[in-house]
Amino acid sequence: MGQKTSSMGAATMFRYLILIGGAIIMVVPFLWMVSTSFKEYAYVIEFPPKLIPEAPTLNNFVEAWTTGQFQVYFKNSMIVAVISVVLAVLISAMMAYAFARFRFPGKEILFFSILLLLMVPNIIGIIPQFLLAKALGLRNSLFGLILFYVATSLPLNTFLLRGFFETLPRELEDAMLIDGANYFTIFTRMVLPLSKPALATVSIFSLLGFWDEYILALTFIDDQTKRTLPIAIASFHGQHGTDWGLVFAASLIAMIPIVALYIVLQRYFTAGLTGAIKG
Amino acid sequence: MKSSMKLLTLMGILVSGAMILGACAPAVAPTSEAETQEQGEEAQQPEVQAEAESVTIQFWHTYSIETETPFLQDVLIPEFEASHPNIKVEQVQVPYDEFRRKLLTAISGGTAPDLIRADIIWVPEFADMGALVALDEFMPDFSTYQDAVFPGALATNFLNDHYYGLPLDTNTRVLVYNNDMFTAAGVQGPPTTMEEFLTACEQIKALGEGKYCFADGGTYAWAVNPWIWSFGGDVTDPDITMASGFLDGPNTQAAYEFLKNLVDQGYMHPGILGGGVDAWGGFGNDEIAMILEGPWFPPIFAGMFPDKDYGLALMPAGEGGPVSVVGGEDIVMFQQSQNKEASAEFIRFMLSEDVQLRWSEVGQLTVLASAIESDTIQNHPFFGIFLEQLKTAKARTPHPAWTKIEETYNLAGGSYLAGSASFEEALGGAAITIDGLLGQ
Amino acid sequence: MDFLSRWVNKPVGMGVVKKGPGSRQLPIVFVFLLPGIFLFLVFNIYPLLKAFQISFYDWSIVPTNPSTFVGLDNYAQALADPIARLAFRNTVLYTMITVPGQIVLALAAALLLNSIVRGKVFLRTLYYLPVITSWVIVSLLFRYMFQSPNGFINYLLVNVLHLVESPIGWLQSASTAMIPVWLLGIWKGIGWSMVIFLAALQTIPAEIYEAADIDGAGNFHKLMRITLPLIRPTLVFVVVMLIIGGLNVFLPVALVTNGGPLQQTEVVLTYMYHQAFDFLEFGYGSALAFMMAIFIVSLSFIQLRFFRQPEEIF
Repeated sequence: MGQKTSSMGAATMFRYLILIGGAIIMVVPFLWMVSTSFKEYAYVIEFPPKLIPEAPTLNNFVEAWTTGQFQVYFKNSMIVAVISVVLAVLISAMMAYAFARFRFPGKEILFFSILLLLMVPNIIGIIPQFLLAKALGLRNSLFGLILFYVATSLPLNTFLLRGFFETLPRELEDAMLIDGANYFTIFTRMVLPLSKPALATVSIFSLLGFWDEYILALTFIDDQTKRTLPIAIASFHGQHGTDWGLVFAASLIAMIPIVALYIVLQRYFTAGLTGAIKG
Repeated sequence: MKSSMKLLTLMGILVSGAMILGACAPAVAPTSEAETQEQGEEAQQPEVQAEAESVTIQFWHTYSIETETPFLQDVLIPEFEASHPNIKVEQVQVPYDEFRRKLLTAISGGTAPDLIRADIIWVPEFADMGALVALDEFMPDFSTYQDAVFPGALATNFLNDHYYGLPLDTNTRVLVYNNDMFTAAGVQGPPTTMEEFLTACEQIKALGEGKYCFADGGTYAWAVNPWIWSFGGDVTDPDITMASGFLDGPNTQAAYEFLKNLVDQGYMHPGILGGGVDAWGGFGNDEIAMILEGPWFPPIFAGMFPDKDYGLALMPAGEGGPVSVVGGEDIVMFQQSQNKEASAEFIRFMLSEDVQLRWSEVGQLTVLASAIESDTIQNHPFFGIFLEQLKTAKARTPHPAWTKIEETYNLAGGSYLAGSASFEEALGGAAITIDGLLGQ
Repeated sequence: MDFLSRWVNKPVGMGVVKKGPGSRQLPIVFVFLLPGIFLFLVFNIYPLLKAFQISFYDWSIVPTNPSTFVGLDNYAQALADPIARLAFRNTVLYTMITVPGQIVLALAAALLLNSIVRGKVFLRTLYYLPVITSWVIVSLLFRYMFQSPNGFINYLLVNVLHLVESPIGWLQSASTAMIPVWLLGIWKGIGWSMVIFLAALQTIPAEIYEAADIDGAGNFHKLMRITLPLIRPTLVFVVVMLIIGGLNVFLPVALVTNGGPLQQTEVVLTYMYHQAFDFLEFGYGSALAFMMAIFIVSLSFIQLRFFRQPEEIF
């Protein structure tokens, strides 16, 4: 609700109280995870949770970072995630622009069938996808993973971006056309720059999906030097018992880039939003 | 425009971050062989050419990432490669929970590895699919190994008159008892019979609220079979043709009734009915007096509760004696392998006495009968009781439909223990279903 | 993120595209569409069609073994399977509980956050933390919290709040085992919806509220008459996305109860997964997945009709 100078005092206090209470519920499991990650031999999770473990140690972080090829996996994940996000955003923006601005036969049927894909559970596709990857020589390749990731993220991205592109002022575009610009110039010089908030949003949504993806990565990649981070974390789960301190430490390391990106982008797209769209 | 620059800068930072990471990462194992192999496979090169030169075999396993995988990767494989200059071994560690899915998908694509270390309960299923090489046909010296390993562990590889693998490591569950709780409750030493077990439970119960005599994670075979067998019952007849008369037979019924009594009296931790139980934590914190555990337990538990006073004993004996369940892993070779001779060499290496004994030092109990006499095993702090238990331990039904069989009586046992079905309804019904599965 | 809110105003299939581009532009359209459509057809449609084909077979996983065509048998089996029916019921129930739960709490958090000045960014990040924490880890923590008899929740209910006499066996009984799963689904989802709501709320001009203040409108009145109608398109978008997500629920169930006790908490996808990868019934598993897909698609058609108000159809 809007800012109201008259509602300072008790009402504001009350709001903060509820918000902070809610934040505690949202954050406690996370703190628990952080606390356990500083504990050695945490095969059993301590209950009730202690915020500061008895003998805190950084060993889990050191071990996670140096066990196996964790750093290689981290690098692989970075490469896959960054390239996938760039490609996914670019390709879906192109598609979305075509849907938003042009008329062509079969347009709505095509758009709707892309949307349908959002609704089909994709776990069952794992075997056909594997057979496809094998036939195309995309097994054991980060590039292969990227192609699958980009394709998976297309429906939602295209859907979101089309909605946004349709809100862009058409007059600007017409003016550029009259000035002799072609559609590719319009797309790169006008549509993309004006769509920063939307692009930032689809970037973070896509990235979240790519960064955690586990099933395809594990199934497609046999070569241990080409694995990604979620597999490294899963490898710390033992057959007969799991050192949760180690797993949590590894997960926390993996979360750092995502949290950093989220903090940077959330400011960015909130700022861009109030300026670019409402103006 | 300014903001999009920011976005680009950010991407740039991420990419360069990735590169820096790459630069400071430790040198990784050379992969050129693996890649050439892979390309060769994709390009459908004739395999003869590959055989003549150096070949690479792929070995998938679920060894622990902390100690066992480094031992395999940094010690055993270099040794093997030194003595077999034409063979390279590429080991692939796969998390246990995902192993089946990854393997099944690979089989469907014709890209199964040459060798895997498989949980013993998977082998008959893969063999039945036609995915595995019958080792007793392929390896001329198979009988040497057949005679050298524990028969119980070997039996898990047998299907339709052939052996499809060799055991690699074995284990079983023994009774782990909490001395602190025993002392507090006045229990004298570990129970050796079912009667003593029940008496101990009565005494433990008297300790008060939240104290449990025994705990297990559910009604799956790994948990209930030791009770069924120790009571003299069984899941099927010895020839694995029917479950009726066995799974619902009088001795099996006695075992399930015993367990149900433990639940009803509050001796058993309720986690067995669903949700599982944090048995190690409960044991360490004096909430649970007894559990069944494998040889991985002592070292891990010592790290968590270094001062805990506990003991290891045989499964309590019933009419069938003290019988526990055999676990462990087999090594099996896939039909899809292009390098079967080289793979057989690696199997021989993994089953050599020297390698087997060194695996034991890392915590993998050997399958070689001769190794029992060795100093390594004789002087080991806790292997002795597991080997003693292994003498009578039995393997779960080696049958291609095992996964469904287990699911059937797991559900039936669960509904009986929860009181939602009578023994006859639950296990009798399950026996009929399993009869059908066995007949297929 | 106001753009999210535009999609119902220009609903699917109803886009107001000015006349102009004719057949002359077809090559341009083609170039814009080509990369996306190519990836889409190869990596999405093809595997799906293949899986659809598998659903008509008693499918053998080993390529050299023959698979038998069984027609609609797998689908008939699914219709007659009591556990499949239960799984379907559980899936729908999960959606009916977690979607309103997430919407209400996320909206409340967004409204509150929008009304404060200090610490807004910090609090918003905290609320978003569950979204970016891995499912495996939060599921494990939820399982620990709901353990019986000595879990955190039981401790809270029995020893601190004195709401119940004796500990509840959350995961041991079919009637309570879904509760941790629902709570996990809601808890982990709040942040995502909240971020979107917050963006929509920020686009509402403060003047509208000031005008309402002059008219002496109360907070509740402003919420119902101003805020909700203005963010309605965003609300619809979030509801649709959450329903799709809810019906596709897999991880929280697989990781917290894994269908237990006694298969009573199976949802469609966990049951499908067991059939395919535990029992190697890939044909049956595919059939289950496609029946679910058909249900979701039909539901989406109904949703589109239901949420579209007359004035929104141009």
